[in-house]
Amino acid sequence: MKSNFILKSLQAILCLIVLGLTGCSIGPAVQPWEKETLARPEMTFEGDPLDSKYTEHIYSSKEAASGGSGVGGGGCGCN
Amino acid sequence: MKSITYPSTNVVGAALFAAAIALPASQTAFAEAVPESSIVSFKYLNYQDSQPGQERVGVNAYSIMGMVPIAGKWSISTTYTNDSVSGASPDAHSTVVSGASKMTENRQAVDLSVTRYLPKGSVTLGSSYSTEHDYVSKSYSAQESITTEDKNTTFTFGGSYTTDTINPTIDKASFYDRKTYSGMIGVTQVLTKEDIVQVNLGYASGKGDYNDHYKLFDLRPDKRESKTFMTRWNHHFDRRDGTARLSYRYYTDSFGINAHTFGMEYVQPLPHEWTVTPLFRFYSQTAATFYLPTSDPLATLPSYYSLDQRLSAFGATSIGVKVEKKIGKEWLVDARFESYEQRPEWSISGGGDKGLLPFYARSIQVGLTRHF
Repeated sequence: MKSNFILKSLQAILCLIVLGLTGCSIGPAVQPWEKETLARPEMTFEGDPLDSKYTEHIYSSKEAASGGSGVGGGGCGCN
Repeated sequence: MKSITYPSTNVVGAALFAAAIALPASQTAFAEAVPESSIVSFKYLNYQDSQPGQERVGVNAYSIMGMVPIAGKWSISTTYTNDSVSGASPDAHSTVVSGASKMTENRQAVDLSVTRYLPKGSVTLGSSYSTEHDYVSKSYSAQESITTEDKNTTFTFGGSYTTDTINPTIDKASFYDRKTYSGMIGVTQVLTKEDIVQVNLGYASGKGDYNDHYKLFDLRPDKRESKTFMTRWNHHFDRRDGTARLSYRYYTDSFGINAHTFGMEYVQPLPHEWTVTPLFRFYSQTAATFYLPTSDPLATLPSYYSLDQRLSAFGATSIGVKVEKKIGKEWLVDARFESYEQRPEWSISGGGDKGLLPFYARSIQVGLTRHF
């Protein structure tokens, strides 16, 4: 189970690394002047930081799993 | 081996190990370019959970965040949070040692991070501190992002170190520690003008005290390793000007818990600077190997054991909506409502503990943000 997880994860990340290094995205490489849509707040992964922190912490205080999107952050007596 | 007598399933589980809402200084992968403006943001949270016929934990929290870019190369960000928790933890199978059925708790947390922007990436150092009367947590983190020449690919590397100290109110002479190291690597890739994806791998290793000192029959391993695989995909629909935000996370740990989380949001801008975002989330986990189910009492206790229902197998759904309104170029007002439900029979891997009651929660957030 564990080795399977690691293998699949590595495959996925290697795939993206290769895509990035070779500049081979689904179509031609996106040019700087074509990134107006990508610059919109809803197209970023950060989102609303206070909203994310409240929401993620509610989940992590009621569920066994947590993390995945980044590093850092302290614990609390709720876990 | 000790003998075990099971508590009544309706014993009210109080405790200070409840839903305090912390604000960790978590850094999300993929730092962007230097921010163009300073931001001050305020957010209020009201949270209430319940089980059939009974309200449980209630939380009122507020947070203030400030972020300032400096000299076009740096930014400093800080957050202060204060939350007040009152009520009792989930009913059934969650037994408090002290017999107290109600509790109140106040928590304060501060985090600070500094980012240095470079021509091809950024470096962020962060720390956080959180204190409540029986618990102190400190965390330090570092993260680096490297972007390719065409800025379509970003690699992220990060690590953190966290120490937690628990000083239970029912045993003030005792202090219990836990230290956790974690690391992550990630790739963010622009696929098209309307698509961006991210893959993160995370690993955490903790050693020390994991017991819940306010519950009876709770003895957990003193080491926990966890791994996460997370992928996210944002797609913009030109015709409707809306954006779908999809995410999936797989989590596995040495307690024997495997969990899947699916998230979906759809951000739809409307006339007059309004935006509405419906949200849906599904979560499912297996039970920890040492979870003691309600229906299968043991004559003797194994090496490790816990009655904590958060370590049982269950599934959970969340539905919600967020509404935002821009006022001029500088102000943003937002409100968010979410309804959450947890049931043992919703675990996609089966094995849910049917003796546990359903669990509900609803949260309301109201925020105000000003750009300078």
